[in-house]
Amino acid sequence: MNFWFSIFRQTGRNLRQTWPTLLMTCLTVSLSVLIFSFFYLIYLNMLSAGDKASHQLRLVVYLEEEPSPALQEQLRRKISQFDQVQEIKFISKAEAFNRFADQLGDNRDVLTDMPADFLPASIEVTPLKTLRGLSQIQLFSEYLATLPGSQKVQYGQKWVERFYSFTQLLSIVVLLSGFLLILTATFMVASTIRLTILGRQEELELLKLVGATNNYIRTPFLLEGILLGLTGSLMGLASLYALFHWTTRHLSGTGFLDLFTFTFFPPGVLFTIICLSIILCTAGSYTSMQKFLRI
Amino acid sequence: MTEATASSRTAMIEMIKVTKRYPPNVTALDDISVSIASGEMFFLIGRSGAGKTTLLKLLCNMERPSNGLIEVAGMNIHQVTGNKLAKLRQKVGVAYQDFRLLTDRTVAENIAISMEVSYKQPQIIRNRVRSLLAQLQLEDKHDILTGDLSRGEQQRVALARAVANSPTLILVDEPTGNLDAISTAQVMELLIRSHNSGATIIIATHDESIYRHSTHRIMEIKNGRIASLSSGDGQGWPNVVGARDGAGATGGSGDRI
Ligand SMILES: Nc1ncnc2c1ncn2[C@@H]1O[C@H](COP(=O)(O)OP(=O)(O)O)[C@@H](O)[C@H]1O
Ligand SMILES: [Mg+2]
Repeated sequence: MNFWFSIFRQTGRNLRQTWPTLLMTCLTVSLSVLIFSFFYLIYLNMLSAGDKASHQLRLVVYLEEEPSPALQEQLRRKISQFDQVQEIKFISKAEAFNRFADQLGDNRDVLTDMPADFLPASIEVTPLKTLRGLSQIQLFSEYLATLPGSQKVQYGQKWVERFYSFTQLLSIVVLLSGFLLILTATFMVASTIRLTILGRQEELELLKLVGATNNYIRTPFLLEGILLGLTGSLMGLASLYALFHWTTRHLSGTGFLDLFTFTFFPPGVLFTIICLSIILCTAGSYTSMQKFLRI
Repeated sequence: MTEATASSRTAMIEMIKVTKRYPPNVTALDDISVSIASGEMFFLIGRSGAGKTTLLKLLCNMERPSNGLIEVAGMNIHQVTGNKLAKLRQKVGVAYQDFRLLTDRTVAENIAISMEVSYKQPQIIRNRVRSLLAQLQLEDKHDILTGDLSRGEQQRVALARAVANSPTLILVDEPTGNLDAISTAQVMELLIRSHNSGATIIIATHDESIYRHSTHRIMEIKNGRIASLSSGDGQGWPNVVGARDGAGATGGSGDRI
């Protein structure tokens, strides 16, 4: 009870004495939290969008001619040989025509002159959700292309490829900004605490002489680290949330974000980021104490 | 040494054959043996450079002896570490010759430090600070930064900090160096008050006025050696050997060393 009272008083003194430096450090920490969590948020949203998209992913095999029911059965077996799939659906020429006509809606009269079999028959293959990754999808599509009678396989290759290379790039950016966060949090805090310690050698010396325990001297510096980590991450995440809020507000009408729903971090991730930055800042303060606090 | 601790009073301080050399080859203390009883008031006198400050520094573990044994309250202070050392130091109040005040803190904060580290309650600390300042007639300096005080005022603040936490051992280095007669009297009164409440007090001084009429033991150091150790009166030290020559006797329980 009295211990904590003394510790908080001492921490308060430290804060009062070095607040300009502390503020700068806090801002740096929050900025790097902001940068890291910004990219991480985009990355997470891309992943979940990709997840959703890959759930809807279908490979369409266009066929040269309409397969007979017996042939359909054979093809079905062939496809299942490569990998288990969720669904295989045969679309006859007539079905394709009707679907297209439905899609045209009121403009369906443009089809009146067309023969009802001008669209090719096709097989729609929905892979299992476990089939992930660009290369696997590519392999599967290459396999489907070798099926006898197949003309062409489509699954939005371009889009999928771009998406995957983008998320890959993004994951590198996330790693880099995470690295930046680690550097700033530990090194900035370490140098701040170092300045505090060096600036107060005289007082720390005296505290030892009048019988202050190690905990009495150390805990305030650790608390400073914890406080920097906490406020830094809270400020960083709060500004990210403000940014997120503003963006979703202003861009939701434009159709850009309608492609996928953009969501903020779930509480677990928020908690983890806060804990992480607290741990990093405390570690920074601890290393400085080990180096410069002679007790 | 043979029939040690036969005394009825326990020793607060035991120094046996203590030598302190500073690099490269300054011998500040040479073969000092002395025993100081719990509750005793003890004067340490000698010219400037005799080694008084060094002796006090050894006692509060600011310096390590080059040779010999030093025990404070039964503990070899140079082997005690960590929280045990902290606890021991909380029981030892030191008024340093160079004060060691935090010049960017107020008088009240400086005095409070020694009580804060032993987790005294804020109310108790406030009261104690006010009463000490009143005794030293420094009431109006409560919120002044110690850096703005005169030397004499700083000296008294340093003393107030030393006695604030009611330590069992008080080491005072030249407490009256910058003081006029009235302030000197106040300082001595404060020390005697602590002495009466049971604290062991060691005063290093070259100010003859404060020990001349004293009935307590006086040890004179010359060039790092004990030049004389007078026997105090009425101190419950029945067998004091009043040795006149330096390394002669310590007086502690009549031990010959
Ligand atoms: N840190 C030190 N390094 C070297 N010599 C020192 C140091 N401290 C004190 N001395 C020397 O030790 C001797 C005793 O000094 P000191 O204990 O301060 O004497 P006093 O307090 O009696 O004036 C002096 O000759 C002094 O120069
Ligand atoms: Mg001295």
